[in-house]
Amino acid sequence: MKILLGLINGMISGATPILLAALGGAYTYYAGVFNIAMEGMLLTGAFFAVLGSYYTGSWLVGVLLAVAGALLLSLIFILFAVVLKTDEFVTGIALNLFAVGATTYMLRKIFSVKGVFSNPAIQPIPSIRLPLIENIPLVGEILSGQNLMVWVAVIATILTYYLIFQTRFGLRLRAAGYNPARLDSSGVPSNRMRALSLLACGVLCGLGGAFLSLGYVNLFAENMSAGRGWISLAAIILVNGNALGIALISLLFGFSDGLGLLLQGYRVPAQFTAMVPYVATLIALYFYAARKRRLKNA
Amino acid sequence: MRQKLLNALIGILIALLLGAFLLLLQGYDPLATYESLFRYSLFGYYPFATTLRNAVPLVLPGLSAAIAFASGVVNLGQPGQLVMGALFATVGGLYLDLPPALMIPVLALLAMLGGMLWAGIAALLRRFFDMSEFIVTLMLNMIADYFTAWAITAPFKDPAAFSPMTPQINPNGWLPKWGEFNTMILFMFAAVVLAWFIFNRWKAGYEWRITGQNALFARLGGCNINRNFVAVMLVTGALAGLAGGLVVMGGPHRFIRGLGANYAWDGVMIAIVANNGLIATFLYGLFFSAIQTGALGMELITNVPNEISQVLQALLVLVIVASREYLNTALEQLAARRRAREVRT
Repeated sequence: MKILLGLINGMISGATPILLAALGGAYTYYAGVFNIAMEGMLLTGAFFAVLGSYYTGSWLVGVLLAVAGALLLSLIFILFAVVLKTDEFVTGIALNLFAVGATTYMLRKIFSVKGVFSNPAIQPIPSIRLPLIENIPLVGEILSGQNLMVWVAVIATILTYYLIFQTRFGLRLRAAGYNPARLDSSGVPSNRMRALSLLACGVLCGLGGAFLSLGYVNLFAENMSAGRGWISLAAIILVNGNALGIALISLLFGFSDGLGLLLQGYRVPAQFTAMVPYVATLIALYFYAARKRRLKNA
Repeated sequence: MRQKLLNALIGILIALLLGAFLLLLQGYDPLATYESLFRYSLFGYYPFATTLRNAVPLVLPGLSAAIAFASGVVNLGQPGQLVMGALFATVGGLYLDLPPALMIPVLALLAMLGGMLWAGIAALLRRFFDMSEFIVTLMLNMIADYFTAWAITAPFKDPAAFSPMTPQINPNGWLPKWGEFNTMILFMFAAVVLAWFIFNRWKAGYEWRITGQNALFARLGGCNINRNFVAVMLVTGALAGLAGGLVVMGGPHRFIRGLGANYAWDGVMIAIVANNGLIATFLYGLFFSAIQTGALGMELITNVPNEISQVLQALLVLVIVASREYLNTALEQLAARRRAREVRT
């Protein structure tokens, strides 16, 4: 029972940053932007979250600063890829490396440390206890006591699904990816939709980054996003950007994250348990490719 | 050619100006910073030798990425292939005992084998299961990272060391030095020449390039696309693996934690900045190496943290690529306008 509970909680907290980043990527996916900068945005968000939380003692300021930091990357992305028409792939790779360099530089410059900055003054994002519900066995134990950002991710999933498929904004967004010339000729600049999608991605990745450094753990480490942005990209591709599908895939990755932690208890070397989410991505990719091939042959 | 050079110089100039602005914002003297940055990397015998040597692990993955991208293969697995190559060379160096004239080539080949193996996995997954090499190589990077971390903490750990690292490899496998010049730079020169020759003069290289430009045309022309794909993966994997092996054989002579650093990703960036040109990749590799090498001396003199070099590099990439594409369109517009005027008169 305890193991199952630990596994489920590990799954949820492992899934949250991937889910938030992937939802952000879903906007750009539909808008036809080949955006691979989620990794850098997560990392930037994580850094600014710690920065804000440490100096003001308020996790809320940390989260806001995280969003602002990730938005800054979005703005650079917009400047280069949308305004100056630089290749999106190049922009994304350069931004990811810029994020690694800039956060390492600021870590050294502002906190005067190399590698890891942890301090009791960093205020974590609080967990939400649900009175009454917490008394229900199992279900209550899972639902109550989750980090606030977990609920934000749940809301963001529903909101993203609604926005993309049920609103005029979503229609225009998808049109920007589907047929930009057509959208332009109907009076809506497709570049504006692309820019908006990147801003949405910045906000969500900022939240995801804040969860990484103020929820998942309570510190900032160099390159702490550790490929989660890439995994979120894989998640988007696997389900063709559908928000509900993304949530499901993120939970799957979160599960492998939790499974890794569990296996560590059985004397599997920590390095191998850490590989589990990446291997899981490869397996998921295998099934995706197999299905696509079947559809093509049918 | 002249226009390319002009584009590059304009891009570099703008990027350095932006960098100077960033330095000014933080209260540093940009002129003194740049002066020491290049004084400690280019001017003088020792700085220049160090820059050349540090360029090796940038240029080789850079060549790997350039060949892959120009052939239409999205191999982003250079980081994983590099550390696997380093691990193979290290293990070979621990257990083999041959005279240096044999040992060094054998270890270099082992490093290439390690990189090929890791790239080969991605190639096979793509070939037989249609799994996109883009995501696969990225995931394999993370797996290689953890795998090598395990290898140096458990089976191959130096029992005398406190942190995870292997013992030193057999001294017969150490790359000799000529004065301050480490012989690993010879491998780099050889790789650049060979890669250029294969890519620009051989039939195989021609097929790869054509496939990168227009896969359909290449297939209709009789190229075996699938075989070429696997070949490009293996060759580019070998190049990245060789970089890892050379880092071990020329530097710490053992596999230490964080050995791969950011080399391979820097290499990918260099290939992108060079627009997948092999000679340009080599030159930009030297330039980026100069920035990284000089950054250490700069920190000593001006107190600017050397991590600024990473920021400067990303800035260079973005600005050079953006200004190249922007200038090209601007020049085309100009030419079109001139032609229009000629027609009118």
